[in-house]
Amino acid sequence: MAPARFGQSELGAVATMAWRATARAFRMNATTSIGAIALLIIVLSALLAPWIAPYDPLEQNILESLQPSSALHWLGTDYYGRDTLSRILYGARLSLLIGLLSILLAVVVGTLIGLVSGYFGGKLDIVIMQVMDVILAFPSLILGLILVAMLGASVTNLILAIAFTAIPAFARIARAPTIALREREFVQAGRALGYSDSRIMFRHLLPNIVPDVLVMASLWMATAVRVEASLAFIGLSVAPPTPTWGGMVREGFENILDSYALALFPSLAVLILVLALNLIGDGLRDAIDPNLRTES
Amino acid sequence: MKNFQLILCTALLAGLLGSTGAHAQGTHLRIAAAGNDLGTLDPHRATATPDIGVVSMIFNGLVRITPGKANPEAVEPDLATSWTSSDDKLSWTFTLRDDVQCHGGGKLTADDVVYSLKRAASKDKSSFFAEYSAFQAVEAVDPKTVKITLSKPVPGLLGLLVPYHGGNIVCKAAAEQAGDGFARKPAGTGPFEFVEYQPQQFVKLKANEAYFRGSPQIKEITYRYILSDASRDLAYQSGEIDLSYGRQDDNWIKRMRQLPNSKVGVFGPGELYNVHLNMTQKPLDDVRVRQAIAHAVQRPALAKYKGQEIAREADSVVPQGYLGHESVGLADYSPDKAKKLLAEAGYPDGVTINAIQTTLPSMMNTMQAVQAQLKASGITLNLAPVDHPTFHSQIRQDLSQVVLYAAARFPVADTYLTQFYESDAIVGKPSAVTNFSHCGVADAEIKAARTETDADKQKALWAEAQRKIVDQVCSVPVFEMLQAWAWKESLDFGYPVEGSLSLIPPVTEKTRFVN
Amino acid sequence: MTAFILKRIGFAVITLFAVLTLVFFIVRVLPGDPASVVLGDQASAASIEAMRQKLGLDQPMVFQYLDFLGGVVRGDWGVSMATGRPVVAEVLNVLPYTIELTVAALILGLAFGVPMGIWAAVNRNRIPDYLTRIVSLLGLSAPAFVSAVILLLLFAIQFRWFPVISSGQDTSLGGKLRDLALPAVNLGLIMAAYITRVTRSAMLEVLSQDYVRTARAKGVPNNVVVWRHAFRNSLIPVVTVVGLYLGILIGNSVLTEIVFNRPGLGKLIVGALGQRDYTMLQGMMVIYTFIVVVVNLLTDLVYGLVDPRVQYR
Repeated sequence: MAPARFGQSELGAVATMAWRATARAFRMNATTSIGAIALLIIVLSALLAPWIAPYDPLEQNILESLQPSSALHWLGTDYYGRDTLSRILYGARLSLLIGLLSILLAVVVGTLIGLVSGYFGGKLDIVIMQVMDVILAFPSLILGLILVAMLGASVTNLILAIAFTAIPAFARIARAPTIALREREFVQAGRALGYSDSRIMFRHLLPNIVPDVLVMASLWMATAVRVEASLAFIGLSVAPPTPTWGGMVREGFENILDSYALALFPSLAVLILVLALNLIGDGLRDAIDPNLRTES
Repeated sequence: MKNFQLILCTALLAGLLGSTGAHAQGTHLRIAAAGNDLGTLDPHRATATPDIGVVSMIFNGLVRITPGKANPEAVEPDLATSWTSSDDKLSWTFTLRDDVQCHGGGKLTADDVVYSLKRAASKDKSSFFAEYSAFQAVEAVDPKTVKITLSKPVPGLLGLLVPYHGGNIVCKAAAEQAGDGFARKPAGTGPFEFVEYQPQQFVKLKANEAYFRGSPQIKEITYRYILSDASRDLAYQSGEIDLSYGRQDDNWIKRMRQLPNSKVGVFGPGELYNVHLNMTQKPLDDVRVRQAIAHAVQRPALAKYKGQEIAREADSVVPQGYLGHESVGLADYSPDKAKKLLAEAGYPDGVTINAIQTTLPSMMNTMQAVQAQLKASGITLNLAPVDHPTFHSQIRQDLSQVVLYAAARFPVADTYLTQFYESDAIVGKPSAVTNFSHCGVADAEIKAARTETDADKQKALWAEAQRKIVDQVCSVPVFEMLQAWAWKESLDFGYPVEGSLSLIPPVTEKTRFVN
Repeated sequence: MTAFILKRIGFAVITLFAVLTLVFFIVRVLPGDPASVVLGDQASAASIEAMRQKLGLDQPMVFQYLDFLGGVVRGDWGVSMATGRPVVAEVLNVLPYTIELTVAALILGLAFGVPMGIWAAVNRNRIPDYLTRIVSLLGLSAPAFVSAVILLLLFAIQFRWFPVISSGQDTSLGGKLRDLALPAVNLGLIMAAYITRVTRSAMLEVLSQDYVRTARAKGVPNNVVVWRHAFRNSLIPVVTVVGLYLGILIGNSVLTEIVFNRPGLGKLIVGALGQRDYTMLQGMMVIYTFIVVVVNLLTDLVYGLVDPRVQYR
């Protein structure tokens, strides 16, 4: 845990610290940079998809169904004769969107719960954390499955379901340092000065939690992308014809004896994105965790 | 690096264990059906394709359709050796064989048949009770004779007595003893008897050595549930399955034909893929909008996309090959006409309609292709994907403006017309079945045909009903899909496989492996 | 102390109750209807209604809820709406498959993960460290279905060493192992990746401790330091984390079970969801919840015993 800094309890410090940690991570580690570059490429292709995709990802040409790779279709076509490369490029948008928004939501809600639970302590804390533990104990995939079946598959519902499964992780990560910091001098001093609880929590405690949350967020975003793909593989994804990577792997698997490429390329896309996020998260963790830093 | 070690390790392990695939072949038949799990083995409840497949091996009827055929006119004796009817066709007498044993012991008598037919007609115990509503009395005259008295003539009576749905004869003692548990512990008189069921895995059957047509050559059947098409194909290809449910498209047929020592069978009855349009909701309440949709669907392209061998273009609201089917001619493909009709109806900028859609691949495929075609005529079809149980529940609550439904039924026009186009079957009513369109334009003809004993007049009534339904565009028929199965070349069914009511090649006492 | 334990148990019971209530209502909010799933697609609305009555679904929600709670207290988890057999029987039926798979994956995970983690820690910031780091991250990043499909295509179809249907019907040892091999390797890969990472960081932490430095300074040979001092002490966090990750293992086992057609708890849940089998879903979720709450309770108590800083309030 990063030591608490007295003079840096302003919100602006959050950004500074995050940047410092990130910069340190990249200095330390080549693999982190590889992850960042891969992520950058994926983000760019998602943003630029309308300009760089060779075809309309939704345009069916059922007479050109299941074509192999060719000059016309670099990665071939799917069962409906749609261009696989174009669908992968557009599919990146959804994977990133769901990964980013679900984790953002989980970060906000989870951190809040953890802060409140840790700061006030007592019975409230015990009950909240018990419930969090129970949610956490359900494998995210199974919980996501039940929630999506319940809410119906749409982008919003996928985001909500995945966020729900991730909230406890952030509640936990925010709670632990809060409990440790609660008794520290600068918090006690704040109380003595008559600061409100919310001011202490948000202006003094929150900045100290940010680095841990940041690491967790990048790792969980990887999980979110994987869970979304897995749900799509089981058959619960957004409305067709919207391309999603998991949905493409599923369709590809059903046609795997006709063409393995159909399952291969979207699988690789999922793998690369998740790996990139994990590499970044890993690098950040190393940069922040004092235990692992001792020797370097 | 680690992957490599693992591969090496598994390779070593495999070497130690020897190779697989050397299962004893000869008397053990391994079947793969496309389903996640068993629904029910109660023959008076079973409707899902994987369920009626197993049921067909366990039960007999009073009469049957020659195995390997699906033509309702090819009726031959089964449990009954002969039958007679009174001149007014209201009283039927069946003479039973006296060498029929129930699974688990006990001779089958008229009592069992009476019990079974009454069960099939009971609202609480049967999903098909409505079809038996004209059964006034079923009596055992003596242990070998059953008499059925009807309240009104039923022209297709024998069709209700074949081993399909309510016509399956259950053994009374076993059914009464099992109660609700009969769905998981069925007992009939067929060539194979139930042994065990493992949830989400398989049903195991064994030969009924006392079968009245002789002891079956196959001694054991494992009937597996494998939902994924690819997994089923892989298991078949690796030799773990002998008879495998196929994917309904030509690519699959072509690929499976190329496998060595393998056969592919394509047979009827056809499942009609029908897009039902809810006539009570805007904008579909305007017949011009419905006509526009009919003109916007390019049936030949869709049939071709599914494959020329497996799919054929629909030409009526009743599938081809069904008794009473009439080729009435459907709207031609013309985006211009569609746009014009939409403009006349007051929608020059096109319409948007919403559909709840199951994620079941074969259905989703079709609906997505339809979606793309409608787009070209300015019709936006929004799909809300849900899993299959949700789909079935929501379309019955009248929540979807458009319902794509694929179904094969007993191959007589009446079943199709009654379940999909008669007012009584409209979803939301207590008597509801699967009338999603709220169609009621041909009630008179459908009702009259049901009791019309003159075959020609009956067919004329059915034809008129189909014409009216097509005119009003209660639904847009798309294509008919045949059944496709792959099996080992060494598997011999003992009958040519031209069709099958139970949608699976006929697994009977004659089925065997030849070398 | 006793008061503390009682208090904790009290909280556990309250949590359990809250979660059960939540589970009950969540399951019933799911769209879809078990009665119509049981009866199939040609059933009339009337017979569906009759089936709903039989299943007790027509009862007011409150009665159903009280019935459910009463059952849980009596240890009666109900009868599966889809199969008509007791939920407990269905769970016990597939439990051995899940345990087999989990244990096998765990053994594979430990066999590969621990040595790789140590190797990486000892060679910190050198090539072996980077290698294991990338490989283990790859293992964590590959969705379970992707690796499963690859294994299936390679070893079941191409080489035909293992069956496509790993249903464990062959009861001989050889047959069981053959059935288990591919699913276990698939899950083992993920487990090995986790364990590698945990072992690495645990080792790094121990290696930086004063007593290890002292030992080194005193001239104790490097491999003795690593194995006798560091490795032993790093085992505790590894074991703890392995326990925590069992849940993740079960989650990933759903995909593994689907691709390899293998029965198990995960597949049971997915199947129950598909059939809207309320009682089954409830039962499964109750079991999960129960395990979690009990494990948490024990952890709390054990921490209390071990760590004097935790006060019994």
